[in-house]
Amino acid sequence: MFRFIAGKVFQTLFVLFLVSVASFTLLKLAPGDPIEIALGNEYSEEAHQDMLAELGLDRPVVEQYVTWLADFVRGDWGTSYTARADIFTYAFVEALPVTLTLAVFALGLAILIGVPLGVLSAVKKDTLWDAGSAAFALTGTAFPSFFLGIVLIWVFGVKFAMFPVMGFVAPWEDFWGGLYHMVLPAFTLSTYFMAMIVRLTRANLVEALESPYIAAARARGEPGWRVVWVHGVRNILMPLVTIIGLQLGVLLQGAVLTETVFSLPGAGQMITNAVLNREYGIVQAGIMMTATLFVLVNLAVDLAYPILDPRLRPSR
Amino acid sequence: MTEVDHRKILAERLAAKLGRRTVLKGMAASAGMAAAGGLLMPKGARAQQSGHLRVAALNHIDTLDPHFTGFLSAIQVINNIHNGLLKITYDGEAVRFEPDLAETWDLIDDKTHVFKLREGVMFHDGTPCDAEAVKASLLRVKEGEPTSPHAWKLELLDTIEILDPLTVRLTFSTPYAFFPVAMTGSTGRAGTIVSPAAVEKYGTDYGRNPVGTGPFKFVSWRENDRIELEANPDYFEEGLPKLERVTFVIMNEPSSAVAAMFAGQIDAMTDCPYQLVPQITANPRTELYGDVEGNYTYVAMNTRRAPFDDINLRRAVAAAIDRETLLKQAYFGNAIQAYSPISPPMTDFYDPEIAASGRGQHFDLTKAKEWRAKAANQGEITVNYMMSETSGPTGTRIAQGVAPMLAQIGIKANLELIEAANWVKRRNSGDFDMFDFLWSADLDPDETLYPEFKTGGAWNFPGWESAKFDDLCKQAQVILDVEERRKLYYEAEDILMDEAPIAIVAHIKVYKVLAANVEGFQYVPADLLNLHTVSLA
Repeated sequence: MFRFIAGKVFQTLFVLFLVSVASFTLLKLAPGDPIEIALGNEYSEEAHQDMLAELGLDRPVVEQYVTWLADFVRGDWGTSYTARADIFTYAFVEALPVTLTLAVFALGLAILIGVPLGVLSAVKKDTLWDAGSAAFALTGTAFPSFFLGIVLIWVFGVKFAMFPVMGFVAPWEDFWGGLYHMVLPAFTLSTYFMAMIVRLTRANLVEALESPYIAAARARGEPGWRVVWVHGVRNILMPLVTIIGLQLGVLLQGAVLTETVFSLPGAGQMITNAVLNREYGIVQAGIMMTATLFVLVNLAVDLAYPILDPRLRPSR
Repeated sequence: MTEVDHRKILAERLAAKLGRRTVLKGMAASAGMAAAGGLLMPKGARAQQSGHLRVAALNHIDTLDPHFTGFLSAIQVINNIHNGLLKITYDGEAVRFEPDLAETWDLIDDKTHVFKLREGVMFHDGTPCDAEAVKASLLRVKEGEPTSPHAWKLELLDTIEILDPLTVRLTFSTPYAFFPVAMTGSTGRAGTIVSPAAVEKYGTDYGRNPVGTGPFKFVSWRENDRIELEANPDYFEEGLPKLERVTFVIMNEPSSAVAAMFAGQIDAMTDCPYQLVPQITANPRTELYGDVEGNYTYVAMNTRRAPFDDINLRRAVAAAIDRETLLKQAYFGNAIQAYSPISPPMTDFYDPEIAASGRGQHFDLTKAKEWRAKAANQGEITVNYMMSETSGPTGTRIAQGVAPMLAQIGIKANLELIEAANWVKRRNSGDFDMFDFLWSADLDPDETLYPEFKTGGAWNFPGWESAKFDDLCKQAQVILDVEERRKLYYEAEDILMDEAPIAIVAHIKVYKVLAANVEGFQYVPADLLNLHTVSLA
């Protein structure tokens, strides 16, 4: 077991190293100059040279990378060029929790609504219920989150004034306030995911419900809900968990647009703005954070398999 | 050099301003009343602050350090935290410069200004705002380390002398007509006074911890989220400020900001993209403030390389652009036609007859074709026109409108959409044939003409060179007589428009949006959002 975990951790670190090299290089290759943007209309050749030297951008790229890496692992993420803000505070303490909250709420909503709908579809296969949930799922996938967010804002925020249309309240400070502010953004972000879960649950459950052990359970006289939820759903958890891990990237991608529409000060907006302003330090920090998150979640998924499926537990 | 009595000019200026205060109009009138109400309060009475104003800040804010910012969006916040020696005022007719931290501003001779400061003004950190502080601030801009991007504005400042703890004398090496604007205007604030103690304490982080004398104190800035200010109860203007708290909420998506305004979660917007103007004006909850400001938009041509090194081709382009159509299609009517760079708010210098007088550039397809026939290259000419989504309030609409107009004179413009960082880089390095751009918030012809088009200047993107133009601008800088300055600037403009490194397009309206229950806002056509007199009903 120790070897298994050590191997996974080593893999994770190696992946993160590759990510850091790739993103660092790509950023340097992108045309555009952070200093010209930072100086704006006050640009002059002299000011440009001063700032280049001050930020160390006149040194060779390899040297810049090594310096950056050494500082990064020690928790010194640098300061941003224009705002002169501490990147660690900005990215890790302020922005990341917002995106994590949004992602957790969206994921929770997707599972809470998606799984029951998928089960309903599977149990009532080929009925109006099934068709209805299929239509819902297709709409969810097809609707761009940017547009959906604006529609939700105008209908539920402005027209009926039911939910706030902007801003972030930390749920760990004010749980209900946080929940209230998260309703529209989390729903916007979750639709794509929800639709996927509905279709996946349905497809796998339809198959599972035709298995001999289901027939056996029914023959034993177990109640219908128990047959479906305990024997059926339990057996489709594996593909569900796998897909949630793999699709986390899509969720984080969607967070960029959702955060923009609902003015949430999260990591998605942070990275977008930083890319546009060529704030290398922030982009780098953002990429490392999201990559780490992605890798960790997939590590957790790997480690969860043996728990979900006794057959995968290492034999003694 | 002509002899001018500057004290007389100043006295007249101040008198005119005082005289006109009784006949204020419209929105400025209510604002004036609010200010007058403040003045009537008994001396020493504390203002009762109440209300929390939430402002959607739609444009990028780089730093709250007035001496280092390059963005008007930052000035909008900075101006509520700091004061300058002078301030910009507007009475509905003309933009003026009035003493702010100074009680009096005297011109001793044409090179010497004496400022007598208000007594007892304190910075938010409790240190006094005295002559020492003024000197320290001005020196920070002029020769501080790191170099302020606004240092050039005080280049002609020779000496700063402290006559007594509340009096400073500034002596310039030549008469400096641009002085009030240099101190107060453009995208930075060279004459804004910052707390020397705070500068000492925070160093380069001052921009995240600004300490001024203004009506609001800085509280916090969460990156990409919000900037919080609270009332300064010891503010020196009696009865001000009226608000207790102000939050600038950083919002990247204007349509979300409009929704938040309609939902009552936001009370103001620092800007309003033209496509949202009809929605704002139709809604009773929101009011639109704004007018044509000191700015101009143009299509630039790269004079350093073919094909636009050919003056006849540039003249053809300048005459081929149908501004009327662009006003409708690109600006949705939120702009007026420009014939030359000097814009209407520069009241002493704007030429009201320019549309009819024949000065400047005009749309005339016949003439455009004549110029085109004189161009060296008579074949089909293909040029590159670079566009950026974020370059101004019109996005790519100007480029899209101009391209078919150029086709009529045998120029094929390849529109190339590139992202902002790359666009800036290529513009600065001269790697383009055409692009369109906006110069904004100018208050004086000097800053609207000279830095943009002087030979070898950093902002002279078309790379145009004219010794005569440079000479005229330099002369005008040191002449204080308005009549004479105007003549020089018209001559300079005429050369610029005739040689056409740019095709001038429009003077645009710059908007602010306030909720209907926001009262007492004093609009200043320099893209400012001064909240001193603002209150919530």
